[in-house]
Amino acid sequence: MVQVEGLNKLYGEFTAVSELTFSLQSGEVLGLVGPNGAGKTTTLRCLAGIIPPTRGTVQVGGHDIVRDAIAAKKQLAFFTDEPRLFDYLTVWQHLNFIARIYQVADYERIGAALLEELEIANKRDALPGELSRGMKQKLAIACGLLHSPRVIYFDEPLTGLDPLGIRRMKDSILKRARDGAAIIISSHLLHLVQEICSRILILKNGQKIADGTLAEITQKFSEQPGDANLEEIFFRATSETNAGAAPPPLPH
Amino acid sequence: MVFALLYLQYHTFRNRLVSRFKRLKQPKYLIGAIVGGLYFYWYFFRYLFGGFTNGRQPGAHLTFPTEHLQLLELLGALVLFIIVLLAWIIPHERAALTFTEAEVAFLFPAPVTRRMLIHFKLLRSQLRIFFSVLLLTLFSRRFGGNAWIHALGWWLILSTLNLHFLGSSFARTILLDRGISNRLRRLLVLGLAVAMVAGVWIWAKQTMPGLNSASITDLGSALDYLQRVLTAGPALYFLYPFRLMVRPFLALDATAFLGALVPALLLFLLHYLWVFYSDVAFEEASVEASQKLAARVAAARAGNWQGAKKNRKAKRPWFNLASSGPPATAFLWKNLIGVGQAFSPRLWIALIVVVVVLCFSLGNAGFHQHVSWVVGIFIAIALAYSLLLGPQLLRLDFRHDLPLADVLKTFPLRGWQIALGEILAPVAVLAAFQWLLLVVGAGLVYYLPGKREALFLAIALGAAVLLPVLDLLLLLIPNAAVLLFPSWIPTGKDSPRGVEATGQRLIFMLGQLLVLTLALLPAGAAFTAVFFVLNFTVGAATAILPASLAGTVVLAVEAGFGVMLLGKLFERFNVAEENAS
Repeated sequence: MVQVEGLNKLYGEFTAVSELTFSLQSGEVLGLVGPNGAGKTTTLRCLAGIIPPTRGTVQVGGHDIVRDAIAAKKQLAFFTDEPRLFDYLTVWQHLNFIARIYQVADYERIGAALLEELEIANKRDALPGELSRGMKQKLAIACGLLHSPRVIYFDEPLTGLDPLGIRRMKDSILKRARDGAAIIISSHLLHLVQEICSRILILKNGQKIADGTLAEITQKFSEQPGDANLEEIFFRATSETNAGAAPPPLPH
Repeated sequence: MVFALLYLQYHTFRNRLVSRFKRLKQPKYLIGAIVGGLYFYWYFFRYLFGGFTNGRQPGAHLTFPTEHLQLLELLGALVLFIIVLLAWIIPHERAALTFTEAEVAFLFPAPVTRRMLIHFKLLRSQLRIFFSVLLLTLFSRRFGGNAWIHALGWWLILSTLNLHFLGSSFARTILLDRGISNRLRRLLVLGLAVAMVAGVWIWAKQTMPGLNSASITDLGSALDYLQRVLTAGPALYFLYPFRLMVRPFLALDATAFLGALVPALLLFLLHYLWVFYSDVAFEEASVEASQKLAARVAAARAGNWQGAKKNRKAKRPWFNLASSGPPATAFLWKNLIGVGQAFSPRLWIALIVVVVVLCFSLGNAGFHQHVSWVVGIFIAIALAYSLLLGPQLLRLDFRHDLPLADVLKTFPLRGWQIALGEILAPVAVLAAFQWLLLVVGAGLVYYLPGKREALFLAIALGAAVLLPVLDLLLLLIPNAAVLLFPSWIPTGKDSPRGVEATGQRLIFMLGQLLVLTLALLPAGAAFTAVFFVLNFTVGAATAILPASLAGTVVLAVEAGFGVMLLGKLFERFNVAEENAS
């Protein structure tokens, strides 16, 4: 569903993403992890067609995101960490607007079901300003899922959600994956990645330093068998100097 | 403690000034500062420093004659009376001294007394008043008079008003605490105001000839009548405190100023004591107000002035949007909902009703010829301003949505589809406003002396055809500018203020004028060619419509290319680089 070949993104002299290559099949959930400034968000933006790659290609459902942008974008949804909404449209007007943009014929039925599933059906006539952070996130998700995307990108999907919201979001992501969507999740929450991702890709300074299942990555970076904690592996993989360096101690 | 607050005030001001100077290292601010500085010097400062043309400042001929100073004082007092009246009628919330969120977070839990906070607020408002005084003095100085007298006069007026607003908000809170609702308060104040106006009206009717078109022949006689009504009878007493406030500003020399200063200062002092001794709990409302202020500032910085103005309410769409059809219509639908926050159908109907009722009432009162000409001139000016200012004021297009550019870029649409959709709503609103003016103008034709209906109607029809395409073209320019130079135009990142921002706006206005002139040349040529050919055969009135159509076609072709170009600009617009810059 997603094919990335030699993706590079440069800002002047600065290399944000370098020679990134990977692919993703239907039903897979890929966790994109890395320290701040690793290039996660830039990668997702290139994959969504928001910013053009400097070099390399990105194919979504067999369509090039640059040359055949319309066909590629019809198949994907991108959820940013901060819900981006139109402040003067109500919840239902958002769905109505998105339905026209994506030409979703049966949007009323799908939209109502999505609002029910996300538990914001009672906020149908509310403006974003009247919604909590979590509800805004849910509205953004309802808009993104309205056209039944086959490829979904999440950038920090759990930000601002309450514990119940987090549980539902995890279930929702896994449900979409079971239904055949290819999903990429960028997150600092390693326990989330460990819990729901079938594959993990670790980025550092724009370069891929690991890509595989948790077991494969563990095998590559662990010092002893059975050491399968992603947090430990993450620190080892992304540490600058010592392979086994521990995170800095907390202040007393 | 007071020194800590002074320290905060001083360093906030100083650091803001330093950051303004530091950003002059960026060419966009430096060029803006130079152009803005030249503008301020040319229009204001050179008069302040005595650089008058031929020894006298332009506009000095507009100085009011000495015998009318009393009238000016009365008019000033009347304006202040209305402002104060509105301050007692309109607000509905409890007393809330607006602090920033940081001030609330640091000062409210600190061991600072309530009165200290009030003094801090007053001190901070003095900084704002100081700049207002500077600008107002620069402006009023152009019409002659002593700069120091003007400055001190403005300061007294603004400072007393500031204290009055604060005092009235405290009084409002006390009334609410004592069970007097906002509605009851408004009824009482409005009732009192109506009684005062009725008193003046009845007194004027009994002691002076009635107001009609026969007795009032020109502006001079109208002003004389107004002066006689306001300087005797009940109005004299109602307006007296407000006249005391205005008097220092209008003083002709230092002696007169000092004479007027004492009562005005006394009034100011009374206001201060009123505020100082009001023991009203404002903290809770202030916390809420500070949050609203922060939201308004964020909205304004995002170029969303409607969001900055008031609490939003959900609006119905202007039409139903089907899920199939041209995607550009979705943007029109969306942005019209946003425009609906300010321009509701109710407002349009009210506007039409007011204009029609006013015209008919004045027409029936025997003013119809005057009214026709005045309204006709007003319509012509309003049309010109709609073309000049409309595209600047109606910003529900890329200028509003650019902070959401990353969302727009994920849509499966071509650039030109998004571009066209984004600018359709302001075009529709502008065109609707202009057509309304044209309809009223066409109706007025029947009142005009020496009727030439055919010619006037042909002009109105020609304008109705031309204007929407011209609006489209005019809106393309600022939208292209915001995509080409996003950091120059306030969108979601920052909203520069000050001299440099004024300069930037001036540069853009000149650029817009230049581009518009170039775009209008071919359309003007097409219009002229068709008009001259047909004028000789079928006459001017008949020639106008085909000529306008020819001009419209040329403009439409240009606008079509413009939309394609705007779409390309949006496709190339690099969200990440702009965010990084």
